[in-house]
Amino acid sequence: MLSDTWHLFNKYMTITMRMPLWSLFTLIQPLLWLIIFAQLFGSFVQTGDGNYMDFMVPGILIMTVLFGSSWSGVSLLREISAGSVDKMLVAPVSRVAIVLSRVMHSAVQVIAQTIIILIVAWSMGSTITMNPFYLALGLSVVFLLGIGFAALSNGFAITLQREEPLVMIGNLMTLPLMFFSSAFVPKEFMPTWIQYASTINPISYAVEAVRAIMTTPQDFTLFARDFAIILVFAIVTLSWAVSAFKALRD
Amino acid sequence: MTNHAIRVSNLTKIFAPNSKAVNDLSLDVKEGEVMALLGPNGAGKSTTIRILSTLSGFDEGEVYVGGIDIDRDPETVRQTIGVVAQQTGVEYFMTGRENMMVQGRLYKMKKADILERINELAHYFELEKSIDRLVTTYSGGMRRKLDIATALIHQPKILYLDEPTLGLDIHSRKLLWKYIDELNKKFGLTILLTTHYLEEADSLAHRVAIINEGAIQIIGTSEELKNGIHGDSIVISFDDVTDKEKAFAESLKQGQVISDFLWDGNNLHLYVDSGAHSVPPIMEQAARDDIHVKTLSLARPTLDDVFLKYTGTSMLDSGEEETEEWWTQWAGKGGGKGNWKGNKWVNSDGTPKGEWEDTDDWQGNDWVNADGTAKETPEDSPAQATESDPDWKGNEWVDKEGQQKGDWGDAADWKGNDWVDTEGKPKQDWKGTEQQTLSDGEDSSVEKEPSQQATEEQDKDGKQQGDWEKDSNWAGNEWVNPDGTPKGDWKK
Repeated sequence: MLSDTWHLFNKYMTITMRMPLWSLFTLIQPLLWLIIFAQLFGSFVQTGDGNYMDFMVPGILIMTVLFGSSWSGVSLLREISAGSVDKMLVAPVSRVAIVLSRVMHSAVQVIAQTIIILIVAWSMGSTITMNPFYLALGLSVVFLLGIGFAALSNGFAITLQREEPLVMIGNLMTLPLMFFSSAFVPKEFMPTWIQYASTINPISYAVEAVRAIMTTPQDFTLFARDFAIILVFAIVTLSWAVSAFKALRD
Repeated sequence: MTNHAIRVSNLTKIFAPNSKAVNDLSLDVKEGEVMALLGPNGAGKSTTIRILSTLSGFDEGEVYVGGIDIDRDPETVRQTIGVVAQQTGVEYFMTGRENMMVQGRLYKMKKADILERINELAHYFELEKSIDRLVTTYSGGMRRKLDIATALIHQPKILYLDEPTLGLDIHSRKLLWKYIDELNKKFGLTILLTTHYLEEADSLAHRVAIINEGAIQIIGTSEELKNGIHGDSIVISFDDVTDKEKAFAESLKQGQVISDFLWDGNNLHLYVDSGAHSVPPIMEQAARDDIHVKTLSLARPTLDDVFLKYTGTSMLDSGEEETEEWWTQWAGKGGGKGNWKGNKWVNSDGTPKGEWEDTDDWQGNDWVNADGTAKETPEDSPAQATESDPDWKGNEWVDKEGQQKGDWGDAADWKGNDWVDTEGKPKQDWKGTEQQTLSDGEDSSVEKEPSQQATEEQDKDGKQQGDWEKDSNWAGNEWVNPDGTPKGDWKK
């Protein structure tokens, strides 16, 4: 299973590398948000000690994850109708590996994007940590969240079976998830009902975790708790996607 | 192990209640054999291939591939088979070599072995020059070749080809046939292919299985199939098909005027020993039954007739294979919403399996061989068969019917003939048909006043057209107006 995943993952990476421009485009939006939000809200959002830039960068990172991985299912549907998936399925390949490799690919892509965002943020004067260990921990959250949402998207793709409703769900999902979290605004500023909503929102925990580990002073307890939550989220969604795929098959 | 590469017994796959994609299908493919599944859209070809490829589940029956129960051990079956699906699943943004490499890896092959095999296959399919180019630069034929090559990367013993030449031009198609043929002959691959090109089945397959409504209708070498279907074919079209027309067809069969018939929409295909012999009595019958015949054409049976006979649908109607939505295809049990009912082929009644073999004096016919693509034939042959040189004069066309074409044209020393009288009614129509068709109006008028016409005919036989002109009865008839053919002359 692992070697299948690896080879398929390689395949997707090869294809992606052949279209670097496309990957670049998915960066534009988060970069725009980074710049616009910093300018727009920076002046009046009071975020305790740090500057708003540092508060917001983790939010932008997580948003990149969300936007980058939530469309993974669309390409699965395209692959199915193009016959590529059949081509894999006729080989004695692990069925889990097909979903796993796609999700991994999506998560790795997202990591690459977040690194670019970090670089831009640093150059804009953010004081986000440069400690490789903390960065690695932060990116592991990014990775897990990428897995989780890519899996969700693939799972929806298989259960909805059509592209249109999948895109609709993607649109419906991403923006509210961002705003019903503390990605851009501290919790204290939110109306109570949004506060409640944000407590069941994985995005909140991901943002919190990244913020906890990437801004000084680091809060390891908070990070550990949120990391665990995101890990569970990734495992649950991935198992769901895999079982949906298998259920459809046999 | 048996010497059966593939053994399918009583296979059934249900898409939705009352909708069986594959219905009690049984099929044996011997080792080293090329078997073609030939059938119209929605016949169950692709579904069968998908089941045999382990891609689809099934509801009943047993499937052994390479001696292994596909239900128990799909993994081993997958090692044994190579599958080329209808859509080329090759990745466009990878090179040919990379495509094959990934596929080889999925079969757990060692890298060195894969590289060696790639060279071998690239050489065989003459892809050496393009193997390191992106697939986006390939032509359709090259993609197809690459597709087949990737399916062969792990040296399978059995190869499935689902519509391998669909959408290819005739040159690429013939080229592909060569490769496929050699794969079988040189490397002993067992090949199961689906197609709706009859000539493809004809040139590639050792045996052909005609499949319809999810079941094998008949199976045999293409020679056997050809010999099993024979004779002349008469196609009558009606404006509308009612019980009257149906009864007409039945009565023809019961009266042994024809050996069999089939409905294809508003067209009635009649199968007879000799067209020339049979047309007069058929038209008589039509007159007796007060049937409006819109057009009539006589032809040697075409490929379309073969197809029609066994599948109840005309090959002319079958274009691209329509497949079920992928999730329906994939589903193991029952799921999905098959819309088989809506398909034409369900409506057709013919159950003609057995009957075909009965009539056996047709043997010497080579009509099946003749044609170019299957589709063209039906259009060609009626024209050939009825093309005529209307030397109507001294001929007693009825007498000569043994011979096919000429008789038609020669018809008509109308004078001396008493055929009108004897048969009571209206063979006159035939006169009108020195071109392919009879118009219905003609028919009806004949029915109304056969004897009068007969007389007039006899008077004026000197010139055929002349007869018609002066025949006042005909004036008001619609047949004059509509048709493409000799309108002008007739009117006067």
